[in-house]
Amino acid sequence: MLCEKCRVREATIQYTEVVNGVRTEHNFCAQCASEMDLGQDFPLGRLLSGLLGLGTESPREEKYAQVVCPTCGTSYGDFVKDSRFGCPDCYEVFDLLISDKIKQLQGSDCHKGKIPKNRTAEAGKSAGKEDEAPGEDSSLEEQIARLYACQQAAVRREDYEEAARCRDEIRRLRTGSETDA
Amino acid sequence: MLKWFEETDRENPSIIYSRIRLVRNWTEYPFSGRLTEEQAREMVSRLEKGMREFCLEDGRDYEFAMLGDLSDLDRRALRERRILNGTLVSKKEPAGLILSRDERVSLVLNGDDHIRMQFIAPGMKLKELWKEADRADDFINGIFPYAYDRKYGFLTAYPTNVGTGLRASSVVHLPALSTGKKFSSLVGEMSRFGASVRGLYGEGNENYGSLYVISNQKTLGVTEEEIVGLVEKVARQLADQERQVREMALSSDRLGQEDEACKSYGVLKYARRLTWKDAMVFLSRLMTGVSDGILKFDGPCPVFSIMLGIQKANLQRVSRRPLSRAELDVARAAYIRAELPELSGL
Repeated sequence: MLCEKCRVREATIQYTEVVNGVRTEHNFCAQCASEMDLGQDFPLGRLLSGLLGLGTESPREEKYAQVVCPTCGTSYGDFVKDSRFGCPDCYEVFDLLISDKIKQLQGSDCHKGKIPKNRTAEAGKSAGKEDEAPGEDSSLEEQIARLYACQQAAVRREDYEEAARCRDEIRRLRTGSETDA
Repeated sequence: MLKWFEETDRENPSIIYSRIRLVRNWTEYPFSGRLTEEQAREMVSRLEKGMREFCLEDGRDYEFAMLGDLSDLDRRALRERRILNGTLVSKKEPAGLILSRDERVSLVLNGDDHIRMQFIAPGMKLKELWKEADRADDFINGIFPYAYDRKYGFLTAYPTNVGTGLRASSVVHLPALSTGKKFSSLVGEMSRFGASVRGLYGEGNENYGSLYVISNQKTLGVTEEEIVGLVEKVARQLADQERQVREMALSSDRLGQEDEACKSYGVLKYARRLTWKDAMVFLSRLMTGVSDGILKFDGPCPVFSIMLGIQKANLQRVSRRPLSRAELDVARAAYIRAELPELSGL
């Protein structure tokens, strides 16, 4: 049997993957397997990148791979390769590119659970009065939520300029509230 | 002080242990993969200082260690006891470990994420563990602000943990159920509900010990209570079905069941050499015999603790030297003979 990847060399390594109880078997040659870093400590990242990654290397996707997070320098290409973000800001920078993929992976793209204490504490400080914190917090958060909805709509009609404007505005509001704190 | 795995839970003997894992990241630093050596060192030492407050508050007896100061063998043994994961065993960058003496609570600093909290207890204790984790999380959050996003929730290095950062899992012993024809379709069914079922020591027919880990697949878009509820429900349901299958087996062929349990005890108690595979198979049968009430002891018989004890790194640690395969088999048999209590009459 020939290696699935290069289709040149004889496949010598059989690799079984079990995802959601579904078993798939792959056959690779030693060279391709070592390039893919298969083995005992198979990095989860590589496996996920198959799910998340640029399945088809279209020119558009290649362009996306150049998008870089200004905070930590992780590019979208790096993320696809390791399935790993570099810093919290990556989520915002790559939001447009990853939102659908996260939804695929997690079945949702919206957090429902616990909210950390530091969020409410920060809002409290920015409002100046502890008691009024929730009100102040929600109006700012509401603004952000509205902008976010705008951004999503813009993405759907492929108006990336508008989406970027919304993103910048969201960022401005967020950093504004933090510097006040 | 007893470690958590040396205790046994009598309420539901098929549920071996429960575990809650939470990952969090501190807003002040990029994620662990992007830290320079210097940043990592600084962050770990700052985190450790803050965590001392948590340890005082918590009241348990804790040990602090840098992973780099532990031997390779110690790290592998910690992995066998579920304290470290595969990436942490081989991690070269600075990382810290804070571990309670009973090993119920562990905090890993600068692993895949900045903070990884883990809470383990024997039996089905997911709800209690989540409450404990939630409290600890709030306390630690008071010291270190967490990276959080309104849309994505708690931000983590891997998108598989984002949202709640919570992985709830339970280990169940399913020797009878897993031999049934319908088991694999049952496992597939569970994944449709968002629970993953996988072997603790291998997959499919090669899961020696018949221990299965039930855990949540999703971490985003579900509340922590929903996650805990789901895993508990699935684990209890599987344990319940296992009980029914065993009751049927006992009523139709009690002698056969007794024979299997007693033979297994005999082999484990008197063998001079035991391969890992054989030991796991016999220990699994012993576990069945103990929970079915066929084998009786004066005190508790912590079978799972023996299972952890006969893993490679632990045997080498106990022997204080590296062992060849043949020596491991001898050490394994000796370990089991010493740990297995005497029967109190049949």
